[in-house]
Amino acid sequence: MNLFLLGASHHSTPIDLRERIDFTRRGVSHALAELAQLPGLSEVVILSTCNRSEIYVICDDPQSARPALTAFMSGFHDVPESEIAPHLYARTDTDVARHLFRVAAGLDSLVVGEPQILGQVKDAFTIASEQQHTGVFFNRLFHWSFGAGKRVRSETGLGEGAVSVSYASISLARKIFGKLGNLRALLVGAGEMAELTATHLRSQDVRRIGVANRTASHAAALAARVEGEAVPWGQIRRELTAYDIVVTATGSVQPIITRADVESAMRPRRDRPLFVIDLGVPRDVDPAAGRIEQVFLYNIDDLRTIVQENLARRQSQVDLAELMVDAEVDKFMAWLRSRAATPTVVALRERFETVRRSELARLEPKLAGLSPAARARVDEVTRLLVEKLLSAPTQRLKALTDEETVGAYTEALNHLFKLAGDQGDTDAAATGRVSGRMLVSTRGRGR
Amino acid sequence: MTSVPLALYVAASAAYGTYFTRRSDTAGRFATLVLVCGALAHTFVIGMQTMQVGHLPVVGTTAAISAFVCLLALAYLYTETMTDERAMGVFIVPPMALLLAIPALTNTVAARPPVLDSPWFAVHVLSLLFAYASFALACVIGITYVLLFKELKAKHLGFFYSRLPSLRVLDVMNGRAITVGWLFLTVGLAVGAIWLLQVQAGAVDPRVQAMSLFDPKIFIVILMWVVYSFALYARRSIGWSGRRTAVLSAVGFTVMLLNFVPIGYFVTRSHNFY
Repeated sequence: MNLFLLGASHHSTPIDLRERIDFTRRGVSHALAELAQLPGLSEVVILSTCNRSEIYVICDDPQSARPALTAFMSGFHDVPESEIAPHLYARTDTDVARHLFRVAAGLDSLVVGEPQILGQVKDAFTIASEQQHTGVFFNRLFHWSFGAGKRVRSETGLGEGAVSVSYASISLARKIFGKLGNLRALLVGAGEMAELTATHLRSQDVRRIGVANRTASHAAALAARVEGEAVPWGQIRRELTAYDIVVTATGSVQPIITRADVESAMRPRRDRPLFVIDLGVPRDVDPAAGRIEQVFLYNIDDLRTIVQENLARRQSQVDLAELMVDAEVDKFMAWLRSRAATPTVVALRERFETVRRSELARLEPKLAGLSPAARARVDEVTRLLVEKLLSAPTQRLKALTDEETVGAYTEALNHLFKLAGDQGDTDAAATGRVSGRMLVSTRGRGR
Repeated sequence: MTSVPLALYVAASAAYGTYFTRRSDTAGRFATLVLVCGALAHTFVIGMQTMQVGHLPVVGTTAAISAFVCLLALAYLYTETMTDERAMGVFIVPPMALLLAIPALTNTVAARPPVLDSPWFAVHVLSLLFAYASFALACVIGITYVLLFKELKAKHLGFFYSRLPSLRVLDVMNGRAITVGWLFLTVGLAVGAIWLLQVQAGAVDPRVQAMSLFDPKIFIVILMWVVYSFALYARRSIGWSGRRTAVLSAVGFTVMLLNFVPIGYFVTRSHNFY
């Protein structure tokens, strides 16, 4: 059996199609239940975010899995197959692990290193796991991906630094003031940029948000939306003293706040810092105000530069992160290959047990005269003998991680002990005739 | 004996350095663990020396440095535990290791002159050493505040921006360290004055006889008390905070350190017992 992935992401699919094949629209659980009915699939996980829709499965045959899953996506989302198919990508075995680890680490994200994706991968696994669509392989694969994602984030700078102007503003505010919960923020202007920043500030639980605009009704409307209060336009200069963060985003040609305004506001504030974010073009705040002690003035270009630097810094960490992902993939695949010997081990043990039982049956007439205790003792001794004989071979087989060696050992054991063939011993023995490729299936599914 | 805590402080310095540059939480936890072990070993060494000579080994600059480093380690660990911030470790622990190299190399405990055989003396020295440790912390915190402040003002967000806590946190920590240091400095000076009044009249030791406000070491300490008193007053009443108090605490401790080592060794005529 094989690991298989079919999906569509922001790399290959336009947003209008991504929206139509978003599994969350009809429910991931519902999709999982329908997928589970398809033949040849065992474990199933669906990862569906605004940027990707991916189906991870353990399947018998990747060749037949691709058309089956494509047809499923088409039918489930009611989108013609011909429309979806060109945008889908498929991965098998090692490439599935690498893809998932890259996704969990944020390497495959639209904004490299964004942190939400790891939580989304965890959620996807949790949903599938709770509905018993995962087993031993996906349990290990997804938990390994969580570890890889965390490792990349903690050991590289991939997730560091704000990569949007509004988030950069909030990060700066936190670096100046620490927690923002006890602060007051004044928005000058009631446009889209001001509202976006206000929403971010509100999410940080700032104590009070004031909104000032030339048109009082606009100020009142935005204040209502962000649970703030309207400030009369004419009182901006007087109100500056009472606020710790000032965000300006107006279309004014002349500066609205001068250096003298800020100086007079800072006098009663003493050394309490004032953070001024000037998002206006042309600028709303006199740049000379930034030279006042304890005044931190950032304009839109400053913030964009920070964002660009952070993006470049993240990009510089990509190679290191890819190396970490490769190392984790190698470790996971080594574990997976070690699982390849499991059916051979099972077949070998069953073969020995069969021989033991048949010999005891053959000797039954001679053992008939023994007391029940003595017969139990004979049974115990033969069982222990088999255990001891198989102990070392079992451990060594399980320790094998090299694909070719596993294949060679498996063939040799099949041949030497007739693990499958004439006697038609067991299913497990039959599955022991393998080449050392990925094997299954000790999954713990309830279906 | 001091070589064991010294080795642990050196190891902790390397671990704090790794934590600061690579931001590895594992290195950070390891650094704290090694520093705790170092502080415990150091305390044990001082305890053993106390048993050996029958009094706290704080007589003479060399022994005082050892006690100072031990108190600084404890004060830093307390701060780290309270704030859950390890970023300052790289600025504090390496200088501690350097300072401890002095007593580790000499490795002797000076005998205490009879005139110092007083409980007032122990309180005086320990209070001042703890004050120095607090001022050292304030100094390091102040320096890191200025470094971060400059990055924020210059809009060049780099090395310190991504590693240090917020300006506000640094400012609060700086204020607390100065307050605690000032309290111990006041107690130490007051107790020292009382002790001097008690012993000066009947003392035969010429150093005790020569002690006055004009001794360089005593004069500078009192000057520093005035400086730190002003820092506290400015903070509470004038509203000074941030960069101004950070610079003040850095300058204050630098002078204090000069007083502690070069002036204590080479210049002072009376206030020197080694």
